[in-house]
Amino acid sequence: MNAFRTLLHPSRVVTVPLRNAYRWFDERTGITQLVHKGLYEAVPHSGGWAYTLGSATLVLILLQLFSGIFLLLDYVPSVEEAWQSLHFLQAQDAFGNWVRGLHLWGAYTLILVIGLHALRTFLSASYKRPRELNWMSGALLFFLVLGLAITGAMLPWDNAAYWTATVVTNILHYFPLIGDGLRQLWRGGTFVGPITLTRTFALHVWVLPFVLFAFIGAHLYLLRRHGEFGAWVNYNTETDDPDKEIGERIRNAEPPYPTKRIERRYAAPKRTVDFFPDQLFKDTAVSVGLVAIIFIAGLIFGATLDEPADSATLTYVPTPEWFYLPLDQFLVLTPHDPLIAVGIFVIVLAGAAAFFLLPFLDRSRERRPTRRPEVLVPALFMIFAVIFLAVLGVNRLYNL
Amino acid sequence: MRDVSRRQFLIRMTGLGAGAIGVMLSIPALGFLLSPLFAQKRIAWLTVGAIDQVPVGTPTVRYVDMPNEQGWPVPSERRVVYIVRKSDGTTRVLSNICSHMQCDVHWEPRLGQFLCPCHGGLYDIDGVNIGGPPPAPLPQWVHRITLDPVTGQHVLEVQNQLDERV
Amino acid sequence: MSTSTQIGGNLLTNGLLVAVVALVHIQIAAFLIGASTMAIVSETVSLVRRNRDERHDRLAHGLIKSSIFIFGFGSALAIFFVMFVLTGVWGKFFVSLQQITFWVFFLEGITFLFEIVLIYTLYANWQRLGEHRKARLGMLILLNVVQWWQMFFIDIVASFMVTPNGGDVNILNLILNPTSIVLTAHRTLGNIAWAGAAVALVSGVQYLRVTRRLETVRRTAPATAAAASVGAMAASAAGSEPPEAREARYWDWAGQWGAVFAVGLTLLQPWVGYEYAKEIQLHAYPAWFNMMFGDLSNVFLVQITLLGSIFTLGAAYFWRRMKASGAPHARRQGVVTAMLAFVTLFAALPAWFAPTYADVVTAHLDRPFWQGGLLNPFGNFIPYKVGALFAMVMLALWSLTAYMRANSRDELQAGRVGRRSAVILIGLGATVSVMMMVMGVIREHARQPYLISGELTINNQQILNNQPSAVGGSSGVTDR
Repeated sequence: MNAFRTLLHPSRVVTVPLRNAYRWFDERTGITQLVHKGLYEAVPHSGGWAYTLGSATLVLILLQLFSGIFLLLDYVPSVEEAWQSLHFLQAQDAFGNWVRGLHLWGAYTLILVIGLHALRTFLSASYKRPRELNWMSGALLFFLVLGLAITGAMLPWDNAAYWTATVVTNILHYFPLIGDGLRQLWRGGTFVGPITLTRTFALHVWVLPFVLFAFIGAHLYLLRRHGEFGAWVNYNTETDDPDKEIGERIRNAEPPYPTKRIERRYAAPKRTVDFFPDQLFKDTAVSVGLVAIIFIAGLIFGATLDEPADSATLTYVPTPEWFYLPLDQFLVLTPHDPLIAVGIFVIVLAGAAAFFLLPFLDRSRERRPTRRPEVLVPALFMIFAVIFLAVLGVNRLYNL
Repeated sequence: MRDVSRRQFLIRMTGLGAGAIGVMLSIPALGFLLSPLFAQKRIAWLTVGAIDQVPVGTPTVRYVDMPNEQGWPVPSERRVVYIVRKSDGTTRVLSNICSHMQCDVHWEPRLGQFLCPCHGGLYDIDGVNIGGPPPAPLPQWVHRITLDPVTGQHVLEVQNQLDERV
Repeated sequence: MSTSTQIGGNLLTNGLLVAVVALVHIQIAAFLIGASTMAIVSETVSLVRRNRDERHDRLAHGLIKSSIFIFGFGSALAIFFVMFVLTGVWGKFFVSLQQITFWVFFLEGITFLFEIVLIYTLYANWQRLGEHRKARLGMLILLNVVQWWQMFFIDIVASFMVTPNGGDVNILNLILNPTSIVLTAHRTLGNIAWAGAAVALVSGVQYLRVTRRLETVRRTAPATAAAASVGAMAASAAGSEPPEAREARYWDWAGQWGAVFAVGLTLLQPWVGYEYAKEIQLHAYPAWFNMMFGDLSNVFLVQITLLGSIFTLGAAYFWRRMKASGAPHARRQGVVTAMLAFVTLFAALPAWFAPTYADVVTAHLDRPFWQGGLLNPFGNFIPYKVGALFAMVMLALWSLTAYMRANSRDELQAGRVGRRSAVILIGLGATVSVMMMVMGVIREHARQPYLISGELTINNQQILNNQPSAVGGSSGVTDR
């Protein structure tokens, strides 16, 4: 009889042993429980498409890791050979250039998406108690990504990389008292030279990614601990007795809700969906779209490589990558000695600190953006300033 | 009580051991990291050439191959020397390294000034910063001008370092 | 040397004619664009909130109505400007400019066609379109887009005159000449700020008018006046309150938003303006030198004083209004106002004593003020101004944020502010207007003695053929 069944369902020859093997593995590792814990989590019902930006960021970071590892197959971190190795990649190896295109366009997309993710979190005030550390670890990740982007831009040792390295390392020497020393430490000399490249390489390939992945772990752990906040729309009350409604909501909430140490009203969303498959489907859709864009852009545009680094050029116009244009314009805006240091280290660092410490600056209970003008107005000012500085930067560079 | 103090002892010793590992690893690592601050510089005199034929009143470009002064030796870097001979007989030997962010400054005949393309710094013909962000004049290379007894020409030599006195 | 071909008049009166007509023209055009932007914001807020607040509709309608009247006058003035002033008095210059920028002017004309259709349709059918508010909003946005392009096209011409960049007239270099984008950014913000200031000005005047009538009404009927004086009660006793009280609340509400727009949109202007000056420095050095160290250096300090005054007046109004409503942080707002006034005086320090920066130098007063000089904690002219500007902007941002915070917490009540605050609003509107005029004068005056920097001089509108000029010498422009 059994043999007959096997004949009817030939696939059982494969599936039965596989299922047994899985049971063996599960008894020893508890993998099923782990996967279930990961997948069946309650997520606020409304605004799911906006919550995809976080997972998209993660996917893009992993894409950077993946393409970065493959770039190491060719790249040599040496002032004599870095350009040669990438030139070889560009001229001789179509797939190699595609991988480099993935890395470049992945970086551009990542910066855009991580910025949008921060903006979404800001508008929905998800960073308020008890999620302050979610925001701060996220802010650190944002800074780390910017740091990876700028160190990555220095590695090809073409003209663009060489002058980026010159300007970026030189910024350090305006730091009061120890500035000259800091510049010399990064450069490994008075001028940009062989040690500059190896030190930057170490930062880009080991130090920053190492810290990045540590903080990604922390960020995800904290997200799972407190649950996705969502947005204020998920916490509106509909009945005449809001207190009773919220009480019922909290009683019926699935984990990780109700969240502790939060105002009662925001302890549990009114409706939730399962992370799997509802939210994960949206996450995947967005990630597929983004990766497809990078896939195509990497193939069509690839990555550019300037002339090899020329320290004696009189015609090259050093241009920062687009995401550093606003900061670069800041250097135009703050002339002369005392103001350069003030501009770079007081104003920009104060802005960065305000971004990092936002949960402690915005301490009201209010979650709707229009009801938080004390953070929305300065943020709008900053966003507009960044956009205008970028536009003006493009214009300035076009006319040089 | 004996048990608690033994426990305390073990905890303290574990902490101490971890600290010892940290110190042992930090000393060589930090020393290595900070080594550029104390490294010997390789300073060299490099001949630019005779300057008697350099026109007076316009900055003139000469290129000099300079060895890197720190780190392992790599092929020399080509650098720009702007020679500005004045009618009063003095000569300025300017680098093209902007005092603001060290970008590549060039002489812009349209403006009659040195222009830095990065952030629009402007210097006059003497290298004095007259506009835009630069905090200081265009630095000069450390240099000397000697009279060659054989040819009777004035010969310019520069070092591979900037004159910090400005 | 060609001889003069100009028609009648002398250089001074002709220049003055252009200046007066152009400045009025710019104020009108800027208001039109800003007004449609404000109308869009007002309508959008109303639509998003879904509360059918009639004040939003009234403000938007008022802006469009005033736009119509001003548009009619502005069009007549523009025709006069082009036909008589530019073609008649400055013909040679204008014809060469027209030839260079033919396509830009052509597109400019087309935008007018669209603008006329849209603005009159909106005006004539405002009430009827009220039943299709999204369609009406769409038309408003379309109008705004058309107006924006209109401004961009004329900005290309105006900026080309200051920075022709050697007169290399391929179409892309003409459109993206060094200052066209910066000027457009500067004006995009400035238009909205000016419309806000105009709303503030009108609201201030109307508030004064209405409250005077209200006082008369209350004197004659003391019982209703008592009810109307308490803001919250007035709403419940709406039947018994005089219509003037409602009017006063409306104009107070509108004036506040005018001030918010005027201050808020001016916040970024120093940054954009600095970049603008920077581009002029790089691409039309003589014009820049005129602005910063020549005849105009003092005008520029007046400009900073005016900018500081805008912020100070705005902050003062916010403070008064918060105080009148008994808002918790009114006192702090007062302190910010005082600080703004101090920074403004500080920034303008040299302007009060010396006509130009050159005079400061000749009088050996270019030293820090603690050494008896007129300048500057940092030992340089420019960083000092940048520092003062930065402090100004940050204080104004603080003031605006604090005001919006009070507003979001319902700490403000309309119709309670004093009559002197309305005067502050009028002052704010007037200051922005004056500031725009001074700005226009600086831009037009800076390139003297040229009409097109380095290409076309003002004397006899002479075209410099193969003569070396300060900027580029002979080039594409002169070949035409």
